[in-house]
Amino acid sequence: MRSPGSQTLVREERNLRRRISWSAGSAIAVAAAAFLALTVTWAVGGGGFDLAWAPTWGLRLAVEVDGLAALYGLLAAGIGVLVFVYASAYVPRHLAHQERPRGEEARLHAAMVLFLVSMVGLTVAQDLVLLFVFWDLTAVASWLLIGFDRASRDARLSALMALLVTTVSAVPMLVGILMLRAEYGTTQLPELLAAADTGPVVTAAVALIAVAALAKSAQVPFHFWLPRAMAAPTPVSAYLHSAAMVAAGVFLLSRLHPLIALSPRLLDALMVVGLTSMAIGGALALSADGFKRLLAYSTVSQYGYVVTLLGVGGAAGTGAACFYVLAHALAKSALFMTAGAVTEATGARALSESGGLARRMPLLAFGSGAAAAGIAALPLTIGFFKDELFFTAALERGVALGGFAVAGAALTFAYVARFWTGVFLGAAPAGVRAVEARLVWPVVALGVLVLAGGVFVGPFASLAADGAATALGAPVELAPAYHLDARAENLMAVAAYGCGLLLFTGRRRLRAALELLEHAGHVVGPERLYGLTLRALNRTSNRLHDIEVRDLRARVAAVIVPGATLVAIGVVVTPTQGAYVPGGVAGADAPLIAALAACAVAALIVTRLRRHLALALALSALGFALATAYSLMGAPDVALVAVLIETLLTLLFVGVLSLVPSDVLRRESELRESRSRRLRDGAIACASGVVTTLVVWAAFSRPIPPQGMATRHLDLAPDAHGKDVVTVILADFRGLDTLVEITVVAVAALAVMMLRPAEARA
Amino acid sequence: MTSVLTRMVARALLAPTLVVAVAILVKGYADVGDGFAAGAVAALGVLLQYVAFGRDAVLQALPVARAPFVAMTGVAIGACVFLVPALLGDAPLEHSPAAGDEVVHVGTLELITAVVFDGGVFLLVLGAAVTIIDAIAAQGAEEP
Repeated sequence: MRSPGSQTLVREERNLRRRISWSAGSAIAVAAAAFLALTVTWAVGGGGFDLAWAPTWGLRLAVEVDGLAALYGLLAAGIGVLVFVYASAYVPRHLAHQERPRGEEARLHAAMVLFLVSMVGLTVAQDLVLLFVFWDLTAVASWLLIGFDRASRDARLSALMALLVTTVSAVPMLVGILMLRAEYGTTQLPELLAAADTGPVVTAAVALIAVAALAKSAQVPFHFWLPRAMAAPTPVSAYLHSAAMVAAGVFLLSRLHPLIALSPRLLDALMVVGLTSMAIGGALALSADGFKRLLAYSTVSQYGYVVTLLGVGGAAGTGAACFYVLAHALAKSALFMTAGAVTEATGARALSESGGLARRMPLLAFGSGAAAAGIAALPLTIGFFKDELFFTAALERGVALGGFAVAGAALTFAYVARFWTGVFLGAAPAGVRAVEARLVWPVVALGVLVLAGGVFVGPFASLAADGAATALGAPVELAPAYHLDARAENLMAVAAYGCGLLLFTGRRRLRAALELLEHAGHVVGPERLYGLTLRALNRTSNRLHDIEVRDLRARVAAVIVPGATLVAIGVVVTPTQGAYVPGGVAGADAPLIAALAACAVAALIVTRLRRHLALALALSALGFALATAYSLMGAPDVALVAVLIETLLTLLFVGVLSLVPSDVLRRESELRESRSRRLRDGAIACASGVVTTLVVWAAFSRPIPPQGMATRHLDLAPDAHGKDVVTVILADFRGLDTLVEITVVAVAALAVMMLRPAEARA
Repeated sequence: MTSVLTRMVARALLAPTLVVAVAILVKGYADVGDGFAAGAVAALGVLLQYVAFGRDAVLQALPVARAPFVAMTGVAIGACVFLVPALLGDAPLEHSPAAGDEVVHVGTLELITAVVFDGGVFLLVLGAAVTIIDAIAAQGAEEP
């Protein structure tokens, strides 16, 4: 029996959930605005801008809405609108299940918008470096989104895996971009596509970029991150793992398709990867139990189709690829959202726990049924045409590929049938909770779109044809239509349905083989390699860390010894005849020598002292003596800073020492190092001291070269309106260095602040 | 507790220290010193107050709690001077007025963007140093 008060609370909570939060509302508004802007720009025939961006590096903020950008951008923004509407109802529920405050919703929506913006930016970028920036931004956003449930270790590890696989593979991509730049002197896409010709450099560069694209599209052998990424909240999967993040990979392949097509071997490699992903993804989807896991493997397999089609190339291949991406994205995000709605209504997360929802949730069953029919390529859905175009392109390449295509389509049919019937048919479950309309209507909307595309395919086909024309660099005709005759495509479709039905009904008999495949993947698959690599790196890092942090001497030696070794190698291999000759001593050097002698005496005293306070003061004396030496060498700026910093440090040093209990200090100061260590440390110190002294002495003995950097700086200082050349160097000539340095200081200050317990902060 | 004389000197020195710091900053382009040195001088002035009066008195008298904010403002100013020219189509960190153009002088102060950048360095050094000083002083305050 609840008290009235608690009932009011429950009702209030429910009302609160019903309302769309401002963060969700603004995310929807951003997506809708992006969708409208892209639609209008595409409708008027494209458009963009081209601004200078770091002209010294030849970079430009070049952006244009061309066919490919319209296709992928509209998908990202349009599905974004629906998914964000869905998320506005889903995320508050998700947070409530985990007893987290609703305010955390804003974090998810912010990351979703960041993702949307970087995805649209990626599609419109006309400069490879700009594209690379957006590429990595999508990875960062996906890391935030997959790891949204921060308390869950699984979510964190999965987010890290997605981040590592997609960003580490982006490093070869950057190398590839720089190779193209070195070869053609530009990173502008239109110029590159016009200038590129067959050659080993282009092939190697494009192959490196393709690695990143395949990893992003979760193709074998990089596919393992995608099923793990299902740890993300469902709206994230519905967005990133159907229409956006994974689409970025095939988008990049389409963008660079003219370059890829220069090498037939690359095209063949794409086809092999695509077919493998198609087979492995499809087979694993046939045995997976969890809704989202099944859908993830299905995505691997479906993007395998697209990669295969891009490998086929030509007008038929690229056209079919673009149409496939469009049709698949609409249907797949609807299925992901179905999975989330079903979990919210019944608590079921896997096929083995669910069934019979068709009568309880008819609207959802209709919407997702249309989407499932779309993926399974049934007639009267847009999916039928995707397979029709796919079969045409495959047949053009050869009968063997046609056979693979039918096999793939049959697998797709089987696992999609398994998903939909598993959720909606069978015995009706008890205790189905009502869910918000916003969890159902986006699915219905996408389902209607899938059906509409099956009747009025014109607008969809023209969008895809525009995309393919950009990818190919030549006009592409796409005319999908129904033909009531016995042409090859129709026969292949019928064969696919037949085989699919057989696979579907006989799936239980295949179970043992499929489980073996999955097990083999765990034992020898790339995921295991990923885990082993990560652990090995971690171990190496720990070992280095242990060596370095044992004590202060070890830390200093860890810097000096490898540093000195490197310098020594450098000196040995560089011709330095006569470059390092210590000069003589003149009478005018006497004050400098006196100051340096004071330094030496202070340094010697430091080695003999045992008490900490005395040590600090001796070190400070050494610093002041050194500052005197600077001032005698005509470097008043350096001397001023040295004096100031020495004062600050000495005071802080003494302050910190006063915090340590005196008996601890006394005990520490009475510790004696072993004889061997003292000898070893002494030898390192003497060797580094002698070598450094000789090198510095020799460097100062050299006459100042008339064309050297120092002279140039002095000559240029008046141009920078400065009389004090040191300040001009810091603020102007080497300003970037200064900026990086002050950033380091700022990070140090932040770290100091964060290390303090909250209540002690001022 | 420090002696009366120390406290008197410390109190009397704070304002002149800050004036000297600003002087070092604004004449940095013409004479010895720059934003870094100016920040260090100002931080020393604040440190003297800690030594003479203790943390509690300083917390009441000076806005030291704002030090991290000051530091971040400094970095932000530096980043702006770096980025704005890039957005306007020049090289990043391109200072204006350009070489050969006329510079407006106010005393020894030259009105150029490089001085703004140096001002960012000043704020950063001051803010970071005071953050660290206050962190150490807070530890000391916790000790019995």
